[in-house]
Amino acid sequence: MSARSQPGPALLARERPAGVGPGPGPTLPASLRALVRSSLPFLLLLAVWWAATTALHPRATVLPSPAAAARAAGPLIAEGILPDYATASLKRIAFGGGLAIALGVPAGLLLGSNRLLSVAFTPFLKFFQSLSGIAWLPMVLVWFGFTERTIQVVILYTALFPIVFNTMTGLRTVPPRLADGLRALGAGRWRLVTDVWLPGALPSIIVGIRLGIAYGWRALIAGEMVVGAGGIGFLLFQSRSFQQTARIIDGMVVIGLLWIFLDAGFLRPLERYTVERWGLVQR
Amino acid sequence: MKRGDSWLGVLPFVALVAAWWVASHSGRFSAGALPRPESVLAAARELASTGELQADVLASLGRLVLGAGASVLLGAGLGILAGLNRFLGDLLLPLASFFSAVSGIAWIPLAIMWFGLGTVAVTFVIWNSIFFLVFFNTVLGVRSVPRIMEQAVRTLGGGHRVLVLQVFLPGALPYIVSGIRTGLGFGWRALIAAELIAATSGLGFLIFDASHYFRTDRILVGIGGIGILWTLMDGAILGPLERRTVKRWGTVAEP
Repeated sequence: MSARSQPGPALLARERPAGVGPGPGPTLPASLRALVRSSLPFLLLLAVWWAATTALHPRATVLPSPAAAARAAGPLIAEGILPDYATASLKRIAFGGGLAIALGVPAGLLLGSNRLLSVAFTPFLKFFQSLSGIAWLPMVLVWFGFTERTIQVVILYTALFPIVFNTMTGLRTVPPRLADGLRALGAGRWRLVTDVWLPGALPSIIVGIRLGIAYGWRALIAGEMVVGAGGIGFLLFQSRSFQQTARIIDGMVVIGLLWIFLDAGFLRPLERYTVERWGLVQR
Repeated sequence: MKRGDSWLGVLPFVALVAAWWVASHSGRFSAGALPRPESVLAAARELASTGELQADVLASLGRLVLGAGASVLLGAGLGILAGLNRFLGDLLLPLASFFSAVSGIAWIPLAIMWFGLGTVAVTFVIWNSIFFLVFFNTVLGVRSVPRIMEQAVRTLGGGHRVLVLQVFLPGALPYIVSGIRTGLGFGWRALIAAELIAATSGLGFLIFDASHYFRTDRILVGIGGIGILWTLMDGAILGPLERRTVKRWGTVAEP
């Protein structure tokens, strides 16, 4: 699909060579132009939102104006609530997600290393993956109470199963002939692991990590709503109790921004780096 | 998979239940913290005999069908429109990717403010968590259809209707179906979370309500119900849907 999008920019560049811009004014640098283009939809959304609130005058508890939402963000930031809660949520996802990766990848590799093991555990892993950590929340609350640990357990549980499952399937889908080929050339067991099995399974492992962290992030928001020990989810829920819709919207924007930050700052680089570095691209 | 492998999948479940049985009979945990397997079965029978369990299962399923149906129709329809129009697609794709980052659970508080507690709020949350994924994937799918197929049909005199029904929809189908699958994964989780917080019926509510009375046996009935229901849906609907649609109409891209 990238093949089709490539001609676009190339054609544009040919039609309008550097320095021969349409007007006499200074041309924007490419990066700035990309920024303007990608922020345009959001400005448009803001305009629609603004127009809707000025034309329809909904109650502030139903839909506050963009200005009101921006005003509500002021004290949230000034009082340090928003930075504190955002940090709390990020720390939780980093800890829970990191632990899920550290436990899930080795477990998946172990299960994937043997055909019978992977056959036996496929329905089991599918079953527990579909049981989101959120469903376990009341049970975990009974075990650990309204504490930090409850949230951690829910994130860990939610992120763990997609990671184990995808690591296992990734390992099983590496064509055996690749290992046979290397073995025929005299490679040892360790060499097979580092040169065939791990790189072959890597794309699938990364998919599992992305999915696990994405599920974990949502479970975190839900967990914070219910447990109430700080965090962005708690901010949203508390604001609902006090009918502060502007704060709810601010919280949602922060959730979106944090996820984009997590995705662009961690998950995508991880994907690019590992798959490019060690990945075994199949034709 | 070889013959005789199918029973292998049962083994981990048997081992887990056995470990659970031993742990709950060891006397180290109170019945509140870890109910025994037989008391969970008894709780399930009790809930089923009053019709409560069936009502909650139907409530959850109904919301899922309603929310998912609306989001698939809207997401695929609007996605095809936005996929055909480059300007519209470029405008809406960044919005769709932002909203799929905030989708689902984060909308629960706002949904309560708008619709109050109940089915409408829950259905809205499910719709929301599936729609953007289906939309996003449909746009990508339509854009992935090779131009040459469109040109071929045009050359043979095909109009807009033919193009959409016989070129773009089938061509985008593998993307749409994978969008639906991923979306349902998120939607299912959002449904349980939304019922936990914003509903008065459904499996999520069953679990949450039981936790108020420390009825952990009932909590486990609800959790088991969620897992079994998803496994049934996955086996009966999602798997076959994917196999049939992609096989039947899919133009699987050759690498």
